[in-house]
Amino acid sequence: MAKSFKIKQTLANALDDTVSSAKNNAGELHVEIIPLRKISLDPDNPRDLILNFNDLQQGIKADTAELTVRKTREKDSLASIAKSIAAKGVIQPITVYKNADQYILVTGERRTLGSILANKVDIPARILTAKPNELDLSLLQWIENIEREDLSLWERLRNLDKIVGAYAKTNNKDVNTVTASEITKLLGCSPQQASNYHAILNTSDDIREYIKTGDLKNIEKIAVIFKAPASMRDALIKAAIDGQTLAQLKKLVKEAEASLKNRTIPKESKAGRPTNKINFGATTNRKIAGLFLRAILEHEDLKKYQETIGKIDWDDAKAIGNSFRILTKLVEQDISN
Amino acid sequence: MAKVIANATNKGGEGKTTMSIMLAEYAALIMNKRVLAIDLDPQANFSKYYINIEYDTAYKGGKIPPIHPEYDPNVDMGWDGRSSIANIFYGEEVFPYKTNFDLIDILPSHSHRLQEAEAVTKDEVLKKVHLRLKEFLDIPELQDSYDVVIIDTPPSKGPLTIAGIKACTDIVIPSQMEEDSVDGIYGMLQLWKQETYSRPADNPIKIAGILANRVRNVSLHKSLYDQLKSLESTKDLVLNEIIKERVIYGELRVKEDRPKSVFDLPASHPARKECEAVCSTIMKRIYENG
Repeated sequence: MAKSFKIKQTLANALDDTVSSAKNNAGELHVEIIPLRKISLDPDNPRDLILNFNDLQQGIKADTAELTVRKTREKDSLASIAKSIAAKGVIQPITVYKNADQYILVTGERRTLGSILANKVDIPARILTAKPNELDLSLLQWIENIEREDLSLWERLRNLDKIVGAYAKTNNKDVNTVTASEITKLLGCSPQQASNYHAILNTSDDIREYIKTGDLKNIEKIAVIFKAPASMRDALIKAAIDGQTLAQLKKLVKEAEASLKNRTIPKESKAGRPTNKINFGATTNRKIAGLFLRAILEHEDLKKYQETIGKIDWDDAKAIGNSFRILTKLVEQDISN
Repeated sequence: MAKVIANATNKGGEGKTTMSIMLAEYAALIMNKRVLAIDLDPQANFSKYYINIEYDTAYKGGKIPPIHPEYDPNVDMGWDGRSSIANIFYGEEVFPYKTNFDLIDILPSHSHRLQEAEAVTKDEVLKKVHLRLKEFLDIPELQDSYDVVIIDTPPSKGPLTIAGIKACTDIVIPSQMEEDSVDGIYGMLQLWKQETYSRPADNPIKIAGILANRVRNVSLHKSLYDQLKSLESTKDLVLNEIIKERVIYGELRVKEDRPKSVFDLPASHPARKECEAVCSTIMKRIYENG
């Protein structure tokens, strides 16, 4: 019998991966040098720069003093990247797509503006053949921005909004139903990170506002607030804004949850006679008892009993208890009549 | 634009030089094309086949091009009279050598200068080596002078091979049907993939063919070939035509005063027949897609 020789399955798979990825990604990394004057900024870019090309070429123009200040600050923040571009050029190409005779910027806003500041005339760019679809565009910008340390949490959140929004749209589902595990797949991040992203995406408007103003900057802290019991929310937000550490916030939540767990809620007895009698509960705190009694006596239907009960000594636990019992008897009588 | 065909595989002894010679002569003798042969391999075997390479005693094992026939020491100041493809990596002019075939010129290898050209830092390699051959072949004067450029590459995936890949329009991967050779195909496809990523859409790098070379009538060769022909990834890349192991190929490389091409053999000679079949298919694949 003739011997038979086989190509190892691992090699066959590797050949298959190589050829198919070459076919699917042809031209993906192609870099051209394009003139800066032909580049237009992308109006949908999730970054918050308001500085434009004209500001750099003809001096900053803005309608209000406030905007001028902001633009000036943005220009100053580009100084270091401009310096490095002047010295070494743009190392990582920007991404653009072609639209008529213009190139629309997909990624690399700061590199582009920095190049103008550095008096360059052209820039290396990856040219996409067509405008990427919404999801791809968002993902490209996300991938580009995720590594950047100077991106604020607000900018990241807006970016996330766009990606998850585009993803939901592509998949015909509601944004709120996108799960953390879908975010993991979408962004290729860790499940822990996706869970944090999921939290800030679904957080309430007031927390969003704090993120926007920069009062809340830490995504982990926001995730802790998001997952904590609703009753703790306001206290936790305050603690986070006051600069409490992540560990401190976690400790607060843990303590609150522990005390909730220790509270024993009496179970209805299953054996013996059916329970008819209702116990209002008990407390050693006169203030709580006083609070309840006052609130009940303010009720529309119960105001009339104030006179009968008369003046109560709110410091006397026994007096408060007696007043409760009297009130209960009076109401019982009136209702049965 | 001239067709630029690189014969490449990182494994040695697969038939890169044999393929280079065969394709150069097919293009010149059968297709009547003007051919520029370029030898990027420091071993200089492609060069040696066409011109009388000298052994450079200053460098052990090194081979250098002969004095150029048109060199005139009284006129050509600042040039030592030898011209090799290595010159382009040093920003120097090159002068192709005539061969005994009217339509084939060659830019020969220069062993130690090519080796030294590769010894640049990682930061410099892209500009100084990888893109140089492409820049050189884009020169309009060169494009006007030749229809086909055949590049022989060293058996490695180093900077010189990459320069050849970056400069070519088409790549030919010769391979024996042996275990390690098939691994070499994979290695070359990796390079091709990387290059595919970075090419513009209107100038793709095509695989003109994976050629089964030196095939013998043994089970190993037959079963490896059959499998490559049946794998989804490689079935369209591996040529239907093969080159068999024949003594004549070795003999054709040994020449006294002038080379004799496989295409000078009688039309009925099995070696000529199979070479024509292989080259015809490769050229058809190269020219049919523009």
